Amino acid sequence: MQVTWILPDGTTRSAEVQPGRTLMEAAVANGIPNVHGECGGSLSCATCHVVVDPEWIDRTGPLGDFEDAMLDATETARAPTSRLSCQIEMSADLDGLRLVVPGG
Amino acid sequence: MTVWTPTDDGHADLTSHDAFVDGVPHNTFARLRRDDPLHYTEYSAGRSFWSVTRQADILRLNRQADLLSSAQGIRIEDQTEEEYLARRTFQETDPPEHMMTRIKVARAFSKGVVAGFEPQIRDLCNQILDRALDCGSFDATREIARELPMRMLGIIIGVPASDLPWLVDKGDALMANTDPDFTDHVLDRMTTDAYRLMPFNSPAGAELYDYASALMARKAAAGDTDGVLHMLLRPGPDGSVISDTEFRNFFCLLVAAGNDTTRYSIAAGIQALCHQPELLGQMKAGGIWETAPDEIIRWATPALHFRRTATRDFQMHGKTVRAGDKVVYWFASANRDETVFDDPFRVDLARQPNAHLSFGQGGPHICLGMWLARLEVRILFQELARRIAAIEPAGPHRFVRSNFMGGIKTLPVTVKAA
Repeated sequence: MQVTWILPDGTTRSAEVQPGRTLMEAAVANGIPNVHGECGGSLSCATCHVVVDPEWIDRTGPLGDFEDAMLDATETARAPTSRLSCQIEMSADLDGLRLVVPGG
Repeated sequence: MTVWTPTDDGHADLTSHDAFVDGVPHNTFARLRRDDPLHYTEYSAGRSFWSVTRQADILRLNRQADLLSSAQGIRIEDQTEEEYLARRTFQETDPPEHMMTRIKVARAFSKGVVAGFEPQIRDLCNQILDRALDCGSFDATREIARELPMRMLGIIIGVPASDLPWLVDKGDALMANTDPDFTDHVLDRMTTDAYRLMPFNSPAGAELYDYASALMARKAAAGDTDGVLHMLLRPGPDGSVISDTEFRNFFCLLVAAGNDTTRYSIAAGIQALCHQPELLGQMKAGGIWETAPDEIIRWATPALHFRRTATRDFQMHGKTVRAGDKVVYWFASANRDETVFDDPFRVDLARQPNAHLSFGQGGPHICLGMWLARLEVRILFQELARRIAAIEPAGPHRFVRSNFMGGIKTLPVTVKAA
């Protein structure tokens, strides 16, 4: 299953991601810049912020209260389809997902 | 040339604060990482515990807050339930309870918001350096490292500059509660239990409690309800509010933890400049500022350990950790793990990646103030490097007597202005 990250410089990077893996883990494993996941996916650092392509947002699962609050603590201001990628698990539904990595 | 070479015999008593007075006993940690990475450490003053010393093991355990709980104390010392409840902050809670407090202040300490302090920090750094560099020879911990985080604390919690030295002395008495230079009530030599319900078992905790109450009353009277402290008082998404005790404990945490850690990071960086002379030139040349702050903070590792408590039995390295056992993550050891860091005793300002654990990376308790710490460290060294031509030691440096707070408490230096 494939995920594509659109980097701040406009280039794209794609990778195969195993189901069950979080998109933060996948990004870190693939060296995607600006996605750090410093708290290891504990919802405590907001360093794995991505903006989900609006066409895909409904398939990424619900936004939790804590995630919603932590999205106010991201480096780049949140967008309507912002998520913390540690909170999204890869699944067959998300094959082909596109994520914008915010930041300069 | 390495910055500092450990001198312990490889068998230091990790429960003894005296084993840390010449710096972290790194030969002991190196032996444990190699031969016994989950070491059962005998502790005569309380329940013995497991010492975890490899970076990868800490990283793997740290994210499992359901298995390794913070909610029974986070230092080696044992606490009764009563003491725990009286002294706890959000550091001593597990998710999701932990998140209730974190989300109230996360934005205030976020990278984007903290970046707004840059001009103010640069200005403070130059004021501090104006005074210190005039002296030529001075204690760099006292004159530089202590000053910057102390003044930033004043800005962040909104207290008058004239109160700051008193506040920081009290914070030191908490954090360095095992060092007679910082407190008259040395924890492991104390003969009274009068303070056992106070933060860090310290009378300074009681004084900070009173200060916090008076400060909030003064702010309320002045209609000042904007700052970080007031954010804490707002109800969470479920309507819950922080208790009075928890608020005052958080105040103590801000004064203590937010202060000494940055101080000792700066001090360790200055010590490195003194002993590894190429660093100053590299700083002057620039190009390393994306990576240098984390390397300085790795080198420093101010929080030497945090403790957890196992919630159920588990196996690791062929041993069984039982539910209720204390498990200590030795960040000081992880940050010198030779399987993760090339030449770990050398400061490499361009080190990348730098998987240090000084901020408790990989778990829910990751340092709330990490962006502010990185920013303060970067700007301080940018300004220091710009303004000096040379720096060298002017006498031996001395470490805090503590197996919890790692820091150079006196650092005599001689500088030549640029």
